[in-house]
Amino acid sequence: MSEMPNKTPAYALEMKNVTKRFPGTLAVDGVSFAVKPGEVHALVGENGAGKSTLMKVLAGLFNDYTGEILINGKECQLHTPSMAKDHGIGMIYQELSLARCISIYENMLAGRLPKKNALFVDKKEAIEQSKKLLERVGLDYIDPTKEISEISQCEAQLVEIAKVLGTSPHIIVMDEPTSALSSEEVKTLFGIIESLKKQGLAIIYISHHLQEIFEVADNITVMRDGKKVGTYPVEETSTDHLIEMMVGKSVKDFYAKRTATIGEEMMRVENFTRWGFFHHVDFEVHKGEVLAVVGLAGSGRSEIGRALVGVDPVNEGRILLNGKEQKFGSMSDAINAGIGYLTEDRKVAGLALTQSVTDNVLSTIIDKLEKGPFYYPKSHRDIVNQKIKELDIYPPEPDRIVNNLSGGNQQKVLMAKWLATDVSILILDEPTRGVDIGAKQTIHQAVLDYAARGNAVLLLSSDLPEVVGLADRAVILREGHIIGEISKEEITEHSLLIAANGEGKHIS
Amino acid sequence: MTNKAADAAAVKKDVRRTDISKRSIIVNKLGIYIVVAILLVVGLIIKQGDYVSIDNLRSILSAVALTGICCAGLAFVVYSANFNDMSLPMTIALSGMMAVQLIPFGIVVSVLGGLAAGTLVGVVNGVLIGKFRANPIIWTLAFNLVLSGIVRVAWGGSQIYPDVVAGDSPAALAAAEQFTSFARTYFLNGSLPLMVVVMIVLFVVAYILLTRTKFGNQLKIVGSNYEVAKLSGINTSKTIILAYVFCSFCAAVTGIFYASQTKIGAYSNGEGYDFSCLTAVLLGGMMLSGGKGTIVGVFGGVLVVGMLNNIMTLIGIPTFQQYLVTGLVFLFVVWLNTNSERKLGRA
Repeated sequence: MSEMPNKTPAYALEMKNVTKRFPGTLAVDGVSFAVKPGEVHALVGENGAGKSTLMKVLAGLFNDYTGEILINGKECQLHTPSMAKDHGIGMIYQELSLARCISIYENMLAGRLPKKNALFVDKKEAIEQSKKLLERVGLDYIDPTKEISEISQCEAQLVEIAKVLGTSPHIIVMDEPTSALSSEEVKTLFGIIESLKKQGLAIIYISHHLQEIFEVADNITVMRDGKKVGTYPVEETSTDHLIEMMVGKSVKDFYAKRTATIGEEMMRVENFTRWGFFHHVDFEVHKGEVLAVVGLAGSGRSEIGRALVGVDPVNEGRILLNGKEQKFGSMSDAINAGIGYLTEDRKVAGLALTQSVTDNVLSTIIDKLEKGPFYYPKSHRDIVNQKIKELDIYPPEPDRIVNNLSGGNQQKVLMAKWLATDVSILILDEPTRGVDIGAKQTIHQAVLDYAARGNAVLLLSSDLPEVVGLADRAVILREGHIIGEISKEEITEHSLLIAANGEGKHIS
Repeated sequence: MTNKAADAAAVKKDVRRTDISKRSIIVNKLGIYIVVAILLVVGLIIKQGDYVSIDNLRSILSAVALTGICCAGLAFVVYSANFNDMSLPMTIALSGMMAVQLIPFGIVVSVLGGLAAGTLVGVVNGVLIGKFRANPIIWTLAFNLVLSGIVRVAWGGSQIYPDVVAGDSPAALAAAEQFTSFARTYFLNGSLPLMVVVMIVLFVVAYILLTRTKFGNQLKIVGSNYEVAKLSGINTSKTIILAYVFCSFCAAVTGIFYASQTKIGAYSNGEGYDFSCLTAVLLGGMMLSGGKGTIVGVFGGVLVVGMLNNIMTLIGIPTFQQYLVTGLVFLFVVWLNTNSERKLGRA
């Protein structure tokens, strides 16, 4: 159990001048910050700002950081994960670390199940212990012998927290705990955080959702480029101010202004249905237009993209390209008909990470570059170099292995791979997820240029500023149904949020 | 763009380690040939001048050729991220037996028949694994068992001999004579066996296939990440089928030379080739996770395995202990392989 000493030190955690260097970069550069017991301290910053690295230092994943870390006023070294655990640091990561097909109590007490007669597991005691922990996160109604797979995503997230509470931490770090939760469930989670706060725990909360942060945090620390920008009490700051601090420039000039010339219809989708995923979806995309399909996780967004290019099955409906009905049995059929699909997860389904930039950029057009069976990638260098220049891929080396590029540049390679094809309709599924601002801007510009050349773009995105900045029109998808359409003039983050989940709180 | 300068700064900051030294590239690419050189020196020390004698070099190369031919093909299966072709032993046995059985119909029919039988195994493997996504290890292992059943039933569990199969017909006897002479044909005053020439030709073909054709370059993407290849419009089934077909074709060539050398068509002909070939391919730097490695490297791996066996024979290590050493080498290589993959962040 977490017992707070009678004479509580001022800070549960103090980090002083912490620096962590990776070969070639300073990921965390002299960051100092402190959290009081009973405080929720939010850590915000763009991807690559160094907040995850800082938290990894706290989790004991590096043994070569410099700087001082004080826990409850005492200096300590956090060189291994178990040292961090012993000092009362509990980590809750974005991805759940629970095994789906074993029981809740076994998950919660994994590695420290109570023993009976030195050999056997004391099941009764284990269930008792886990019940107590579950009560602390408001899950008193759950039977700990159930399997993880039998409970909801939100409950699993709470079990994860209960599991960490079992190690009696003073400090809990939550990294994007709401990314898989609905807005209802987020409220439940915040209730739990509130009660943990009252129990005197210090909570570090990392999230991209600024609205959430304003709801839950007491103080906010902004990081940028590995450095701390500042710490602000929540009542003294605003979303605009935070974004400005995070981005380092005013939000207003973030998106290039343009006037699209929208031509005739290029693709029409009618009554498109895959049972259980999306139903009776109708929309059309015009020449020169960027059409956004906006929806929450699980709304069927990506599934529509995959079905459109023939990778996933379709039960009903048809696709018309320039007025002619088309059927695709595979991705290559779709490419031949002029549709490309930039996949959501570049690591899983986007890029061959262990191959060179050249191999990746040309992978979609190997069959088209030459007639006959022979093909030598190096003789098509000019195409690759042109794409490298066009998308500002750094370092500009066509032979570099993609894995050795930063996330943003990897994403540019993925974009280049599709721009290298001569498709006239491009489906972009989260084209800038997890990339830095610079890369985001380059990719956005490339998308707009592509549309301006008389092509059509279908943007599947949950990044609302991106939709606002790029889309000429947006359709809103909820639970597999299109529930509305918003014209360019009406697209704002606010209107999209309200349309997408009714309550306008959470989108992921 | 007004923010161009700021962007450039942001992009510059992204630089990760760009200083992969030239030296490490050379060590990576030619590492296996350093081992070849070391073994050559070891051989010289053990046997002095005899080691580089025509006789010994010929025996190394001949010993290497059978494995080598098979490895040129197996490299494609490993490269496609399907780990290993466990049906190699029976592919070798089947093609050898088929060729021997067809000797009465003339030498051309015999060789083509043997090649066709072996290649057919590759077609089946390829369709099952490439199209229907069967687990490559389980499927080829099971198919190997099925093939061994078929072979034993078809030939009643017995071995067949070229001269016996030929019977009394002089034409068939001549064909049998020709068949057994394949493994005993030499060029350049008896220093260059035909088998070695065939091996080198197949390695050249493999090199061209892998680096200079659409098939090879698509296989690279398929091997690195199947899902990515599929979503890039690459015909993954066709690519994997071709990889298995080439693998089995090479195994069939090995099978014919094997039967020719031993003058026997037997179901045990290819025993042990599944792992000895994989050892050589992995030694040559092919990655079990696919999409990484070179044909030049695989050739080096083949040389190392051949020289290692040769040196063990020269210093008089008995056969069973040789198995032990080869097994240990295999374990070491697999460990090395997974270890370097872990460093690449893939395992």
